[in-house]
Amino acid sequence: MNKDNPATTDADIPGHQQDNAIAEAGWIGRWIDAGGLLFAVGIVLAMLILMQEVILRYVFNAPTIWAHETTVFLCGIAFIYGGLYCTARDRHIRVVLIYDAIGPRLRRMLDIVISFICAASSAMFAWAAWLMVERAAFSPDGSVRLERSGSAWDPVYPGLLKIFLMAVMAIMAVQFVILAINYARGRR
Amino acid sequence: MEIFGSLQGLGIDGATLLMFAMLLALLVTGIPLAFVTLLVALIFALGWFGPMAVPLITSRVYSFVSSFVFVSVPMFVLMAAILDRSGIARDLFDAMRLIGGRLRGGVAIQTIIVAVVLAAMSGIIGGEIVLLGLIALPQMLRLGYDRNLAIGVVCAGGSLGTMVPPSIVLIIYGLTANVSIGALFTAAFIPGFMLAGFYVAYVLFRAYTNPNAAPAMAAEDDVPWSEKLTLLKGLILPILVVIVVLGSIYAGIASVTEASAVGVAGVMLSTMVRGEFTLSILKGAALQTLQTVGMIVWIGIGASALVGVFNLMGGIRFVSDLITGISDNPTIVLLFMMAILFVLGMFLDWVGIALLTMPIFVPIVTDLGFDPIWFGVLFCMNMQVSFLSPPFGPAAFYLKSVAPPEIGLGDIFKALLPFIGLQIIALGVLIMFPGITGR
Amino acid sequence: QDYTFRFQSSDPAGNPNFEMQKGWAQSVNEMTDGKVQIELMPVESIVAHNETQDAIAAGILDGHVTDVSYFAGKDPAFGLIANPVGAWSDPQQMLDFMQEGGGKELMNKLEEPYGLHFIGATTPGLEAFVSKVPLEGVDDLQGLKMRAPEGLVQQVFAAAGAAPVNLPGSEVFTSLDKGVIDAADYTVFSTNQAQGLHDVAPHPVYPGFHSMPLVEVSMNKETWDSLPDDIKQTLEKSVAEFAQNQISSLKEDDEAAVAKAKESGEITVHDWSEEERAKFRTIARGEWEKVAERSENAGKVYDTLTAYLQEKGLMDK
Ligand code: NA
Ligand code: NA
Repeated sequence: MNKDNPATTDADIPGHQQDNAIAEAGWIGRWIDAGGLLFAVGIVLAMLILMQEVILRYVFNAPTIWAHETTVFLCGIAFIYGGLYCTARDRHIRVVLIYDAIGPRLRRMLDIVISFICAASSAMFAWAAWLMVERAAFSPDGSVRLERSGSAWDPVYPGLLKIFLMAVMAIMAVQFVILAINYARGRR
Repeated sequence: MEIFGSLQGLGIDGATLLMFAMLLALLVTGIPLAFVTLLVALIFALGWFGPMAVPLITSRVYSFVSSFVFVSVPMFVLMAAILDRSGIARDLFDAMRLIGGRLRGGVAIQTIIVAVVLAAMSGIIGGEIVLLGLIALPQMLRLGYDRNLAIGVVCAGGSLGTMVPPSIVLIIYGLTANVSIGALFTAAFIPGFMLAGFYVAYVLFRAYTNPNAAPAMAAEDDVPWSEKLTLLKGLILPILVVIVVLGSIYAGIASVTEASAVGVAGVMLSTMVRGEFTLSILKGAALQTLQTVGMIVWIGIGASALVGVFNLMGGIRFVSDLITGISDNPTIVLLFMMAILFVLGMFLDWVGIALLTMPIFVPIVTDLGFDPIWFGVLFCMNMQVSFLSPPFGPAAFYLKSVAPPEIGLGDIFKALLPFIGLQIIALGVLIMFPGITGR
Repeated sequence: QDYTFRFQSSDPAGNPNFEMQKGWAQSVNEMTDGKVQIELMPVESIVAHNETQDAIAAGILDGHVTDVSYFAGKDPAFGLIANPVGAWSDPQQMLDFMQEGGGKELMNKLEEPYGLHFIGATTPGLEAFVSKVPLEGVDDLQGLKMRAPEGLVQQVFAAAGAAPVNLPGSEVFTSLDKGVIDAADYTVFSTNQAQGLHDVAPHPVYPGFHSMPLVEVSMNKETWDSLPDDIKQTLEKSVAEFAQNQISSLKEDDEAAVAKAKESGEITVHDWSEEERAKFRTIARGEWEKVAERSENAGKVYDTLTAYLQEKGLMDK
């Protein structure tokens, strides 16, 4: 459908055949791409933790108090980072009805505009996430205290996840700006 | 600062229309889908309230990614990614072709059966479509199946995860409506199989009216018995994995979410048994999982954010008034609710639809004297339609993320139309014959 | 001047608690001659259940009707005051503590720095315990695989020898059904019954012994401060009346559900002896002390609570 379209050819290749961020993503895209491994390992770790929990509970009647919260945390950061990862690789799903119908020059313009709009909204979300972090990372008297889960184990996962979300939104804004610049330069 | 709050001048009805128009317009421009809904949410947060409302969006994003419900999605995708890199899937389909024998459309029917088994193993969609898309779709294409039929079977079959119990849609419905989740599961059992049966019937119909759509495997008779036995070995490991996963759920060893991790471990062990396991396979599979869940989850994130903003704008009261004002005839009100679900299904993810409509619909349904359990099954069936219906069809998106490059989103949606028709027929049957749910 | 407020509940739309809370919102309207209109939204409609505090402070919501324990991650003090496991054997005791025993002042001391004002307290009452196996006392909790989500409840059961499993509410039913867990901390008897939990776990303990959540009605502090005194008083009064209505009405529901359950013959309702309840309370108290050490505010909650309980003769000095 959009096979001859240079901007989305990468997006059309099934995951295991494409191993890089797209060229337009620039240096930050390569960094984001490399960082993916950490969070991919997190998913495998989450699987191992769940298995361990099943065994500890069923065989030894000794469930942990940390397995489920840790699994949710590992998956949560993977979900958030996964969005950034897809941005660098241009792997988010795009409906290309109009996009495909127009010529390459207009298409490039569209890519630039889209990247700028996404950069602006990501920046806005990073700012909103900061407001959230203000309450999750500091107590009302201004001292640093990460929001906890409130469970018996009481990890600081909620605080960490909120900070992480803010960081990813900020990096995503930068990524979109760089994408826009590189689309404008016509860099391949 | 004049912009902030200016949208309020439209009123909630005008704003709702504008919201749908904007979704549609932005969708076709090629903006990444995840950002279309996020962007519309942002525009309305700013345009209706002002900057103070924007943290609502990030709060919902945070809550969405940190909910336990979605843990099984990366597990299913990881399972698919490992299977895809091993020879297990190919061997499985070779063996299935042998068993399918001379039945036309046999492999498609077996894919539907595999889908039902997977549906009994999980409660959510996403992972299964990716799994079938990576494994069953290439095999059916290789065997000469009509492309549209193969795509439809994968998407519609893969969506059964929330129709066949256990189902997260029914669980969320039960918690919202304060009805028994067990009763919901029981009631959804036959409708789930009925829908799968419709798919099978459709495959048979296509296969026997058009031999090119689903080629028969006449030549297989010539395969000597010794080779048949070798081929049948391909069934052993997958069946063992299924037994372990289903067994762990039904014997009370693992919760439904944990069972998805058991499945991954089972598949990993299987690749080890076959001598195929390497760290680089695991690395590739894990990276692909990261990418696929990033795509799947961000689509849901945007929808959830949009619903939050719409509710804050007074969406709940608006929709509620809309429904109660339509008619005094309960059946018409019911059909109208189905129509709303259908339209919402074109624009939103099921989580968003559930969050938006359940609080409104459930009290109305009970007031009208309908059985809330039966309605829960109707809701669930509606969500099946929403997975496939364009322009926002999650099943199509999930498949697109792993389908061969020459299959475009437009091709997928075209292939799904007959299956949407089957789902609507199933919905109609449920409305006309509530007895199917055992109520 | 007229006021329109948007409140979010921590209960879903079909839940009887939500219906009662809507009744409260209606009563506020009537008591203020239509001057105050409260639109009550079900859980998750604007933000998630544990995000309402932030949303109210940010001005996105005006107020909430919610279980206080959802904010235990912000300060352990919220967890302790929300559910001092074993402290109350009757809802009226807790309401009296909030009204006369310094509870209200304490709540405002905790919440005002977060930008909220505490209007009043209510509770769905003593939760019943859900179990697949017969439980007659503390000894039966040994090694019991049970679901417990919130901090203190989980901690107390662990101290009592049970093996608490951390599961979300959405997995309780299927996990009980298949036997992943044998028991669960869920909610009041009538709701447990309606959601079919007793069909898969036919040995409920009623009246409950372990948990009675504090449900707060709070709103944005700045908005509260800007209200005229008569409206403030009416709001407080309305919440007090609402609490009484909710308690008596849910108690009725519970009793009807218990009668029905007993009648069915398939469900055995267990009632713990006073001795066993006291044993459990003693274990719980040991855990309060641990929470009290975790923050300055939690220490304050502990002091105020034990002082009240001792004064009323509900606890040994
Ligand atoms: Na299922
Ligand atoms: Na759809």
